[in-house]
Amino acid sequence: MLKKKICMVGQFGVGKTSLVRRFVSSIFDDRYLTTIGVKIDRKDVSIDGKSLTLMLWDLAGEDDLAELNVAHLRGASGYVLVADGCRACTLDKAAELQQRITRMLGPLPFVLVVNKADLRDQWEVQFQQVAQYGWPTFETSAKAGSGVEEMFLGLGAALLRAHPASEVREP
Amino acid sequence: MIPSAQLDLLAALGYAVFERSGAGLFDLLGASPAWLPPGPLTEVFPFLEVFLLDAEEFWETSSDHSKLVSDYWTQTDARGAHGEDMHFCAIAVAGFRKLLLIERTRHRFEQTQAFVQYAHQTKMAHDEIARLSRELERATQAKSEFLARMSHEIRTPMNALLGVAELLSETPLNKEQSEYVRIFRRAGDNLLNVINDILDFSKIEAGQVELECIAFDLAGVIQGAIEITGIRSRAKGLCLNSEIRADVPARLMGDPGRLRQILLNLLSNAVKFTDRGGITLRVEPDPGRLEPGALHFSVRDTGIGIPADRVSTIFESFTQADVSTTRKYGGTGLGLAISKRFVELMGGRIWAESPPGEGSTMHFTARFDIAGPAPASEHPASKSPASAPLGNRALRILLADDSEDNRFLVRGYLKDTSCILDEVENGEEVLEAFRKGIYDIVLTDAEMPVMDGYTATRAMRAWEQERGRRPTPILALTAHALKEARDRSIAAGCTDHLTKPITKTALLEALSLYAPEHPPSERIHVAVESWLKPVIPAYLKKRKADVAQLRLALEQGDFAAVRTLGHQLAGSGSGYGFAQITEIGATLEESALAADAVRIRQEIDTLDLFLNNVVAE
Repeated sequence: MLKKKICMVGQFGVGKTSLVRRFVSSIFDDRYLTTIGVKIDRKDVSIDGKSLTLMLWDLAGEDDLAELNVAHLRGASGYVLVADGCRACTLDKAAELQQRITRMLGPLPFVLVVNKADLRDQWEVQFQQVAQYGWPTFETSAKAGSGVEEMFLGLGAALLRAHPASEVREP
Repeated sequence: MIPSAQLDLLAALGYAVFERSGAGLFDLLGASPAWLPPGPLTEVFPFLEVFLLDAEEFWETSSDHSKLVSDYWTQTDARGAHGEDMHFCAIAVAGFRKLLLIERTRHRFEQTQAFVQYAHQTKMAHDEIARLSRELERATQAKSEFLARMSHEIRTPMNALLGVAELLSETPLNKEQSEYVRIFRRAGDNLLNVINDILDFSKIEAGQVELECIAFDLAGVIQGAIEITGIRSRAKGLCLNSEIRADVPARLMGDPGRLRQILLNLLSNAVKFTDRGGITLRVEPDPGRLEPGALHFSVRDTGIGIPADRVSTIFESFTQADVSTTRKYGGTGLGLAISKRFVELMGGRIWAESPPGEGSTMHFTARFDIAGPAPASEHPASKSPASAPLGNRALRILLADDSEDNRFLVRGYLKDTSCILDEVENGEEVLEAFRKGIYDIVLTDAEMPVMDGYTATRAMRAWEQERGRRPTPILALTAHALKEARDRSIAAGCTDHLTKPITKTALLEALSLYAPEHPPSERIHVAVESWLKPVIPAYLKKRKADVAQLRLALEQGDFAAVRTLGHQLAGSGSGYGFAQITEIGATLEESALAADAVRIRQEIDTLDLFLNNVVAE
């Protein structure tokens, strides 16, 4: 079975863990539980008739106390940059992380996710702010489930197209 | 070998101990802990794929007994006895043997998580407050913009309503009609005050009010407020006095406009709520603050007073002493709230006293800096509107306004003056007309179709600069009442900003104030054939004589003479290179045929102006 390592990165509290949990277990829990270190999940999916195991590395959100450990992305086939639509600063953080990851590991396939679409009326992040980057972007709601599967499967399909036969990349 | 007792201890502490036996190969030492899933290490713990890269390097380079500790990791597919997530940590130990310890951690993980979670939640709560504050700021901004827009939309028709009422009051009316017009005008003025109050209040609420700090005469401000309130107090038969104690400084630095607004508010309230007796405005040094510029103002009346339980709430927004007060006496209830904020901005406080049956006294304190004596230039003689009335000056005025009603009004205001008014409807037209270079003053609306007044003003100023011409007074005449609108007009190059609705007096005063004192010195350069140059002065001199003759003919109502002179002008002008003289002549001829005296006067003035300024080159 093909395996692809996908990392979830972004500022703390944007919903990385909730997105994975929604995708893997179809569960959403309103309580906030911060991720420490790395949380690893796996999900078997079928894309274009191909079976694929997504290894989902949910990396602790960056905060003022601790920087993202980019080393955890080694061996990843791609990553998901997560921002919270209600906090404009999280989009800036996502853009900053993308630059840092590219600088340290070279270009890797990724998608930008603006999460918390269920709180759309409270969003600070504007369409133009997102569009300026020209990145593949998904609006998701881990709470309502909207856009989550499309995003993971979309990234999975892109990874398959990029490296059709490869196993999880050797670190 | 590690002694088995030590392995037992490590197992008891929750460690699985492996020894690296080759690249990617690890042997479990001692017993397998219950939590350790079977299988190759990196398959069981994908996290180690990354950590072992660092560990291999560490084992290669470190020879002492130091250790490399991994981040925590959580594996949701490995669950504890009660189905809980399991958290792990790996430690690579260097030395004689290369050891890898994997710890199933619980308490340390939970302690770290609790600490970080607290930090995150605090930060998120802070971010949420900041977001709400930004949202509130945006909402306040939107509200201010809405109010400014509404104010503009109300002021535009109000300009026509109040202006036409003013014009109507100047026509012969019987007593009943005069009363109707008076009520009409008073209601309009009241409505305007309400709009101004609401605008002021919304600006205060949005924190957009900044006080001026300029030198002013305190007595002048007091006098002005007393004069305005005096009209109504006299009508009600009330005495209105003011007393300024001798030790109050005469010249202060501060915001005289806002001070006057506070005084007017308190005085007009006093007049409103007093039916007999009188009102006294008193100014003295603030006894509670021994600084030269700290003053105490009080307005005492002999009116209905304020109920004891309302004395402290009357300065809150939309509050009058009684709801029925609004019905009986009118007003938005904003005046005192606005005054309170202005007083606070002036470093003072405002309060009321109302002993039963003794009327009421409104007090406020404020702090000013002391200003030096007024320089001579602060007493303008020549530029004061009162001392330089428009009189019979034949100003040539260019008016740009897309509202026919408002153009009608300015036309009406100017009908008894000698001014010549040209009207256009948008910025492009005003620019085109302005380029003729014949206007003494331009009045322009701000918002117009095709090109707005600001853009047109900038273009007019640029045109003047290119030609080195003296700036023509350009007065913005708009329904935008906020200070920002005024700033915008001035920034665009306007000489002043007049706010609609505008009264006839205000317009005439402004025209008189800004009209050039001498006929426009801007020269009109006309290129003529060189061989004609020697005869040009004589030709122009004769045309000046024509102007005198034309005026005489017009006075006598001799349209035939005007027509003949016009015909001659039309015939000769272009021949000498002065197409404008031909154009004026033709218009005179036409106007004489139509016996249009007004138009003839305008054209004679235009000709006069042209002849005064033309330079043949």
